[in-house]
Amino acid sequence: MFQYTGYILAGVVGTVAITVAAFLIGAVLGVPLAVASRSAYRVVRWPAISVIEVFRSVPNLVWLFLVFFGLPEVGIRLGPWATAIITLGVTSSAYLAEIYRGGFSGLGQGQWLASKALGLTTWDRGRYVLAPQLARVVSPTMATYAISLLKESALASTIGVVELTFRGGLVAQRTGDGLTTFVVVGLVYLVLSLPLAYTSRRVDSRLRAKFSVG
Amino acid sequence: MSGLDTREQAVESDAFLAASGVTMRFGDHVAVRDVTLGLARGQVVSIIGPSGAGKSTFLRCVNFLEIPTAGTIRVGGTSLTVGPGTRPREKDIQPLRRKLGMVFQNFNLFPHLTVLRNVSLAQERVLGRSPAEAEARSMSLLERVGLADKASAYPGRCSGGQQQRVAIARALALDPAVMLFDEPTSALDPEVGAEVLAVMKELAGEGMTMLVVTHEMAFARDVSDRIVVMVDGAVVEAGEPHKVMSDPEHPRTRGFLSAVLGR
Amino acid sequence: MDGFLADLQILAPGLGTALQLAGLSLALAYVLGLVLALLVDARQRVVRIAALVVIEVGRGLPLLVILYLVYRGLPQVGFYLDPMPAAVIAFTWSIGAYASEIMRSSLNAVPPGQREAAAALGLAPRSAYRDILLPQAARIAIPPLMNLAIKAFQLTSLAYTITLSEVMQAAYLRGSVTFEYLRTFVAAAVLYAAVAIVASLLVRRFERRLHRHL
Repeated sequence: MFQYTGYILAGVVGTVAITVAAFLIGAVLGVPLAVASRSAYRVVRWPAISVIEVFRSVPNLVWLFLVFFGLPEVGIRLGPWATAIITLGVTSSAYLAEIYRGGFSGLGQGQWLASKALGLTTWDRGRYVLAPQLARVVSPTMATYAISLLKESALASTIGVVELTFRGGLVAQRTGDGLTTFVVVGLVYLVLSLPLAYTSRRVDSRLRAKFSVG
Repeated sequence: MSGLDTREQAVESDAFLAASGVTMRFGDHVAVRDVTLGLARGQVVSIIGPSGAGKSTFLRCVNFLEIPTAGTIRVGGTSLTVGPGTRPREKDIQPLRRKLGMVFQNFNLFPHLTVLRNVSLAQERVLGRSPAEAEARSMSLLERVGLADKASAYPGRCSGGQQQRVAIARALALDPAVMLFDEPTSALDPEVGAEVLAVMKELAGEGMTMLVVTHEMAFARDVSDRIVVMVDGAVVEAGEPHKVMSDPEHPRTRGFLSAVLGR
Repeated sequence: MDGFLADLQILAPGLGTALQLAGLSLALAYVLGLVLALLVDARQRVVRIAALVVIEVGRGLPLLVILYLVYRGLPQVGFYLDPMPAAVIAFTWSIGAYASEIMRSSLNAVPPGQREAAAALGLAPRSAYRDILLPQAARIAIPPLMNLAIKAFQLTSLAYTITLSEVMQAAYLRGSVTFEYLRTFVAAAVLYAAVAIVASLLVRRFERRLHRHL
């Protein structure tokens, strides 16, 4: 069993890579999506809201299969890694857009009014007043999402991505010892999520102490 | 009728701030009915009236934070007219907003920036001043409102009265032609509110043109050049403070004043 | 188009299985969640820690790993389980862990003044809990628990990895027969989305009605 631990642990790289890549894609794409979903123009708002809703209503596994097995039919042939990262990234953008939206409504009108009254342009308003405050408000929720994304990355094993869970599966097959193998795999996931949970709690309390809205 | 006086003044081209025919409709509810108001340079006008009379809404229409259903706002040489069907773009509103400074009931300071940065930000981004220039100007304004020592503090660490004074400094930093105050002391305890009123009084004494929506009758009476009474979205009375407050003509004014002043 | 409709027909029974799995697991998970939520505040330290471990592991492991653990690991210690029971056990653990977190935070979200008022009135703790705290906590907990239910339904897609015959399994099989993977998985996606979106709308309407009485 122990001879395989190294092999299993090597999967951490892949798992973390997928998680980080997908999270970044989602965090970036989520912004225009969230902004569009609050647009005053129905033409922009409705498609944006529909996209968010659809991406969140279909389970990630289905999306993965759709992209991996289905898209080749229309000529888009992505490898397992690319599929996993892009698909999870795109669905993440929908989940994160929803988180951003929640942050917006928590912000309140006053900041918007004041920055408008001062004459700040829409861009300046966003960059200097709204975004910094938004970031502080949604950070904890985003951290929670990052942790769940870490677990979602295990889905990639179903389309053949050789990450942590996939390696565990192979070893379990080889050794016939599913119990120990998956206990080990489970422990690795637990350990991986600890630093993220810890930093998010520290960052959150530090931000709270620094500026409490008068 | 006093309403006519204000209308004539607004038509006069030497009115510095002129709001003509401002109407604001939310669906079926008419919050502001065809209000016309004019201020000469250096004048201080207070708008008083019962809650829900549309005073704050009107004030927000003046700097187009609310886009009125109809009306014209003119400050000096810059004016903007809105009618049903026309919706002005940000670009069209900007020139007017540059000339108007606004102080809110809830201060609305930026909590993630220091007091100094609160006052400097718009100077740099809107007026294009250099950081050094902006900082210098901010410090001098903060001194003027008595808060120079709080420059590097965050708003969360300041009392309500201090925050509001910072908000005044923030608005003044852009050298507006007219200052709009939306119930600046309503969210403050009376003693703390007094600090803010003192600053406003000084400002008035220095010749700033001010339009103030307030519940502070003492301020309205002692500092204003004119008082305007709004009820149900319309101006029902306007005139010099001592006349309006001791001998009002309109029955609604009488009713409001007696409730407020206990007469 | 006929192919698409045929796909939907073929996948429909899988939907039934998915709903069965979700329903059964949820019922058990809510009970487990409640038990765990109460045990975490138990007087005996051992009980508290045990409950915490069960919760943290249930929440910290990807559901996929828990499924493998139960289906491919337990046989080693003598528990040979069919796909459905294995899936139910795995789902109950994972979802129960999330449910317990929801219930705990709901209990904490009841304004502390309520507890004080109950004590001041001289209510015995059990009565205070039963009549004052739990009802209010329940009101807070119900919407997130309903959303958890929707998530549980979506997660049933994973059960295919332990050969449970639900939507994904059916879709994959059908795809390998017709070679129309894209169409088949789109059909699967449509099924999931339809259920999830309708369910979300119902939850939202329920939430609004709940708020009206507050």
